[in-house]
Amino acid sequence: MSDTQDSNAEARQKLVDLAAEFYDQFERGDIPEMTLPTRTKSNIVFDEDKKVWVYGDRTSTRSANSVRGARKLLKAAYTIEFLARQLEEDRSSTLRELYYLSESWDNEEAQFNGQDESNKLVEDLEIVSDVKREDFHMRPEESGATLIGPLELREQTRRGERVIHCQKDVGEGGYQIPNNPDTIEFIDHDIDFVLCVETGGMRDRLVENGFDTDYNCLVVHLKGQPARATRRITKRLHDELGLPVMVFTDGDPWSYRIFGSVSYGSIKSAHLSEYLATPEAQFVGIRPEDIVEYDLPTDPLGDSDVNALESELEDPRFQDEFWTEQIELQLDIGKKAEQQALAARGLDFVTDTYLPERLDEMGVI
Amino acid sequence: MTSFQSTLGEDEGMAAELAENQRAISIAEFFEKNKQMLGFNSGARALVTAVKEAVDNALDATEEAGHLPDIYVEIEEAGDYYKLVVEDNGPGITKEQIPKIFGKLLYGSRFHAREQSRGQQGIGISAAVLYSQLTSGKPAKVTSRTQGSETAQYFELVIDTDTNEPEIRDESETSWDRPHGTRIELEMEGNMRARQQLHDYVKHTAVVNPHARLELKEPQEHFKFERATDELPEETEEIKPHPHGVELGNVLKMLSATNSQTVSGFLQTEFTRVGKKTAEKVIDAFRDRHFGREMAWTPPASHEDGDVARAVSTAVSNKGADATTAFADAVADRVQELDRVAHQHVGRFVDEEAERVEEEYGKTFGGTVRENAVEAAWRAITGFDPDEPDQSASEHLIADAYALADEATSKRKDDETVRAFAERLAEKFVPDPADADAWRGRFTRDEVREFVDRSADMTEEREDATFGDTARENVTTAFWRVMRTVPDDAPLVSDLVGDRDAVSRLVHGMRETDIIAPPTSCLSPISAEKVEAGLRKEYDAEFYASSSRDADVHAGDPFIAEAGIAYGGDIEAEGQADLLRFANRVPLVYKRGGCAITQTIKGIGWRNYNLDQPGGSGIPNGPVVIMVHVASTNVPFTSESKDAVASVEAIEDEIELAVREAARELKSYLKKQQSMRKRQKKQNVLADILPVMSKKVADVTGRPDPDIGDALARIMNNVLVEREVSEGDGEQTVTVVVENHSDRSESPDVTDIVDREPRDVSDGANVVEMDGEWFVKWTPDVPAGEEARLTYTVETDATLDLSVSEIEGPKLTVSD
Repeated sequence: MSDTQDSNAEARQKLVDLAAEFYDQFERGDIPEMTLPTRTKSNIVFDEDKKVWVYGDRTSTRSANSVRGARKLLKAAYTIEFLARQLEEDRSSTLRELYYLSESWDNEEAQFNGQDESNKLVEDLEIVSDVKREDFHMRPEESGATLIGPLELREQTRRGERVIHCQKDVGEGGYQIPNNPDTIEFIDHDIDFVLCVETGGMRDRLVENGFDTDYNCLVVHLKGQPARATRRITKRLHDELGLPVMVFTDGDPWSYRIFGSVSYGSIKSAHLSEYLATPEAQFVGIRPEDIVEYDLPTDPLGDSDVNALESELEDPRFQDEFWTEQIELQLDIGKKAEQQALAARGLDFVTDTYLPERLDEMGVI
Repeated sequence: MTSFQSTLGEDEGMAAELAENQRAISIAEFFEKNKQMLGFNSGARALVTAVKEAVDNALDATEEAGHLPDIYVEIEEAGDYYKLVVEDNGPGITKEQIPKIFGKLLYGSRFHAREQSRGQQGIGISAAVLYSQLTSGKPAKVTSRTQGSETAQYFELVIDTDTNEPEIRDESETSWDRPHGTRIELEMEGNMRARQQLHDYVKHTAVVNPHARLELKEPQEHFKFERATDELPEETEEIKPHPHGVELGNVLKMLSATNSQTVSGFLQTEFTRVGKKTAEKVIDAFRDRHFGREMAWTPPASHEDGDVARAVSTAVSNKGADATTAFADAVADRVQELDRVAHQHVGRFVDEEAERVEEEYGKTFGGTVRENAVEAAWRAITGFDPDEPDQSASEHLIADAYALADEATSKRKDDETVRAFAERLAEKFVPDPADADAWRGRFTRDEVREFVDRSADMTEEREDATFGDTARENVTTAFWRVMRTVPDDAPLVSDLVGDRDAVSRLVHGMRETDIIAPPTSCLSPISAEKVEAGLRKEYDAEFYASSSRDADVHAGDPFIAEAGIAYGGDIEAEGQADLLRFANRVPLVYKRGGCAITQTIKGIGWRNYNLDQPGGSGIPNGPVVIMVHVASTNVPFTSESKDAVASVEAIEDEIELAVREAARELKSYLKKQQSMRKRQKKQNVLADILPVMSKKVADVTGRPDPDIGDALARIMNNVLVEREVSEGDGEQTVTVVVENHSDRSESPDVTDIVDREPRDVSDGANVVEMDGEWFVKWTPDVPAGEEARLTYTVETDATLDLSVSEIEGPKLTVSD
């Protein structure tokens, strides 16, 4: 419990420091401002030491010099006050609650115009204060994703500690990853590798076919673009248990980005790459070459798909031989395929043939 | 208007009957029946028009005499009538002139003058007199005192409408308190329904005559318009007429009056902008119309039949073989040198070569010999043989005519048609020995056109071809171009006087010739500064702009367009802009819609100048006054009542340019206002946000509220003026800090007003004492991003009052 208090106090202090910076700017007669790294594709660089993509040197400044900037800073001041109090009281709230809560603030200029604005502001505060959102006790709205497999862990809950075996103690739905996976302690496991699966349908197929038990595999459901908690626990599984992490998605540009955010970190949260990204994660498929090799049922690439692929060719995170080749091949064949397209070859094809062959090829099994 | 003409062939008895009823009507009688033409068509309007005519005259008279106008107008109710009194401080009018000026229509000094003035026709004031006598039956009462005379003259006048002559009802010598000037008193039917127009007229007169003092006393109210300047408008010079602006009748009159004998001399002395060269050009144009031109043919090639040398030599006898050959060859050579040769050339060559040969060979080439030589040479050139009766045109003439016609007509005409046409046309030019002009190939342009028409008609009939108007005109032009202006002397002035047709040709010649624009010394524009001064005087606005164009010309009369705009302040913001129209410094009050000025303003896209203009055309909306002044020796009005400027393209163009010039200034002002408003808005928002933010951060950090003044000033790019005071031994050192947070250098006027005498004043401040208060004033130059510290010392119990000017409000933060 004292740990929590310490971390609360530390997070709170950082927020107060931030407010103090604004205060000093006022006192010096300077125009209050807040400098942030520019959060665009062109401003992420590969950190050779940590093997993740982080923000580069370019910054943008929110300054009270303009009406827009002043409003942003006013909102920041209100949010800082709110977060500081929340930490003081050891409570938590969701991002959406913050948005609605702003409606009650006494100054209309401080109220958020939409949830995007409040979400973004929390991220800004994360960056400038160097405190993670989870440590501000801010949660996302949706419940976390699930995992299933031979893993035993201990979770700190509001009702005390719970020890859970993620195969034996859970139903078919699996174990729900909490919002702050750092409250979890891994106790024991029998896992050979972690398999992150994009779609619910494929995850259910693997579980039904007993893939997790047959191959000592921990199946993590990504649920589309993975939440921070999902990425964080994946990273911990890799770092703390030394497990290989494999990513299995659809064969289209959007799914490559899902892999990208697991492996390299997302552009939006590049400040947390070190904490969230698993650079050693490997891409299983569906690969454009699979579409050709297995003659999978496909959909044609739409204009937005082509644009996304072309944009990925320029994305520093995809600048390697494997991805360049695959993306160019896909642009060439002009097709995309879903994970479940493998069912065209039978419901067991994925667990009996595709995955074993591919994983063997990649040296995992 | 009634037609007094009876046409030919009408029954003579009828004509005689009509003649009995026909008689000359007097001008006075005519205007009595056509009051509307002069602006006296309603009681309301009559009063305004009468005031306008009297005041216009008064202004003209005072200015001409070099006095600053001081004009008094009074309107009084007198039973069923209104009594109008207008007084001026002009030079006064002599006893002899008074009856004519006020009692005779169309009597005036200005009608013939080419000089800008308010009145032009000499109708206005006498028409007012006429109107007053017709409606009230009372005579006009005129008092006038000339400068330096002891007494004033008093007249009571009416106009005899049959004869248009003044009728004096009473006449006496009287005394008057004005040292010089004129006073007229009229009683007339009328009403004050047009008060607004009357006020507009007087107010607008004050706007364009900032040098005049005007007073208007009405039954209900009394207005005074004081002078804004003691400077009289520049005196105008009368100019001679410009050749482009005169009518036939004028020229006839001028010809009978001139002392010049030659037309060239007449043109040079009686017109402006005509020198020797221009006169010669006008006379050439006159010659072409008067005498026609001579057809010029290409000289015959030596192998052709028309051998000029042989023809000339055959025509000369008894001069010896050598002289004859030398003469004939020389003439032939001269002819061959030309591209085209006309009869006049042949005559000249024969004369010149005859003289040369006479000298060389000692033989006399008399008149008959020369005539014979000319005739023979001309025959050879035209290929005409007088021995063959009804001779057709020679091949040479046809070839020439064909070349000209072919080039002038469209390529689609087939060759046969053009050739047939050329044959017929060449026929018309065959020299006719019976007609001196036709022999020499001398024709007017109209005659050439007639030849072309006849030949074309025949060609259409015989060849079944079409020969349209354009083709005919082109051929005519092609011929006219190669024809030569004749060298004949223009008639003398004395010959022209009786020859109306010839003078008409001269007038046409004047119009056709390019002549530079008339000088503008005859104009008296108000000038851009005074336009603005006038607006400033009568309108309390926040912004003024004005423009004055260079002179331009329409129909021989120079004119200048000027414009002014006043915006904001006390000007009515609701509804349309006020439009003030002026012609020769006279406000135009009526017929707004029919005026070229109004039309021009409506045609401008005012949205481009940041004004509201519903539908994108028409008079703009908003707190705007737009004034336009047109000055000219002859402003074209739509009618005699001079209410509206007629639509003349050259004038409309200049009005538009003048208005746009002023409007551009307005636009940049409005834009600046807009950015100031934005700045003000930003300031307001930030002034709301930043204190709240500073309070929040103070709360979170648990510190007292921070001072945000400096940060605010910096954010606003403002100039922050703060006073710091450090007290010591019974006195205080006052420091005024001027921090310039803007991105450019600023020089504000900083004034601290103290009620004790300040000492040790820094930075060369200007200290002025007034009623026990000292005004300490600095004007520091503070570069962008820097500050100035201005100090002085004063006793501790002094009260201080800081003010800053010469800097826009939204850019300034003063903390006292």
